[in-house]
Amino acid sequence: MIKVRTILALLAICFAGSGLMAQDQISPSRKQAIDSLALEKVRDLSKYISIVGNKDTPWSEANRVIERTLELFADGAMMGVSTLNSQDINYYGIREYLERLMALNYDKVNIQWYNIQYISDLERQPDGRYVGVITIYQRFEGTTKEGLRYVDVTKKDVTVYVERKTTQISGRIIGFWDVLLGDIRVTETKPGN
Amino acid sequence: MTFKHCLIILGFLMLLQGAEAQSFNSLLGDESILYAQTKQMNQFFRRFNAEESTSGDRYYPGDNNYRSNDLRRRYLNILFDNQNASMTDLLRNQFVSDVMNPGAPAYLDFHGGQWFAEVTTRFLYMGKEESVTLFMKLESENQGHKWVISNVYFSKFQQMFNDQENGEQHFLHPLSHELDFMNLVKVFKDKNYVEQYTSGEYHPDYLTLFLYEFKKGSLVFKTVTGVKFHFFQVPGWYFEVSEFNRPGTNAGWLISTMMKLNENDKDLLLKYLYHE
Repeated sequence: MIKVRTILALLAICFAGSGLMAQDQISPSRKQAIDSLALEKVRDLSKYISIVGNKDTPWSEANRVIERTLELFADGAMMGVSTLNSQDINYYGIREYLERLMALNYDKVNIQWYNIQYISDLERQPDGRYVGVITIYQRFEGTTKEGLRYVDVTKKDVTVYVERKTTQISGRIIGFWDVLLGDIRVTETKPGN
Repeated sequence: MTFKHCLIILGFLMLLQGAEAQSFNSLLGDESILYAQTKQMNQFFRRFNAEESTSGDRYYPGDNNYRSNDLRRRYLNILFDNQNASMTDLLRNQFVSDVMNPGAPAYLDFHGGQWFAEVTTRFLYMGKEESVTLFMKLESENQGHKWVISNVYFSKFQQMFNDQENGEQHFLHPLSHELDFMNLVKVFKDKNYVEQYTSGEYHPDYLTLFLYEFKKGSLVFKTVTGVKFHFFQVPGWYFEVSEFNRPGTNAGWLISTMMKLNENDKDLLLKYLYHE
């Protein structure tokens, strides 16, 4: 179900920017509005990852959240994961990644998100869609029954696809920019000194 | 903007002013370091050109600080890998001075060509893992852009087409046609000299060879192991940008190598980069 604030963000994008460029060009003010919507989707993703990873989340609820998470993504999106020990990228489908997260063998999991995000410019692809990347950082802490603690910090570079779409409201065709998430590159990182 | 946000940005500003990272990191935790790191190549471009604020918000033409000289000088100085001793202060200062030349400042242009990516990958080749380097460039299509594979380096191909320089000359004599080229049997007798029978203009096309082997199923993609970028956009200079995944503020996408470059030497350097 589309949330009220998502609808508001969509409407904001429909009407954002008095100095609009050509219909399919993105002006700085419109870019800002699209960034807000994209960030909201990334925040939803962050929230869903935290819920799925939380050991207190009932199994049925976690599965329901996985389905909602998948709605944020374009078809075929993948996670590419590497660690400090290996530069190799391991590839997972989004569902597979979330199911692995859900099945992690920790007694307690704490996932926190750094209060920082970096949003790239939007670049136009040959198919007319625009693409950008939002970078966020996550701290994961897992504790086993025996009290062993595992902590990692990962950088997540999230692909964002922006597409011009139309919808019909009260017989009028309204154009708007829709945002879907795409591939995510997950890199283990050490931000400390 | 929250109070915490303000503190973090203040911390990053201190870094740009040359203050010790330690002093604010201990107060603010890891986030100030993350602000300082050059997190995407997009940010490398924007910082190089001074097209974003210290909090990462984009500046557009007409904004007060867009391409501001002061901001630019400070940004440029944090874009070098400080652990590479071959990039001396003198060399860096010359580079910054040339880039900020008041008469002809140099800006990086994402769509401007004269830069490309070198992507190290691993493939299974005949069942064994091998390193393959793909060279990628941006190409425009339908008013948009895409990355395309422009060249490939695979040591096995290179070895196969290495000239045999042992002084022996092999050729088809100029009257071979009178014999219906019956002497071709000698050409294809020995794998080592077959290139000597080709035109002087012949150069092996490794990309075609690579695609052929892939389509045949001999090459199977495994993973990407590294990415770096080569830039020729600043007149008189070449530099390479790599990602440094390490603790501290001098991390992320940084200039890893740089050198002065005469236009005449560019082809030579390109041949070196392409392993030709």
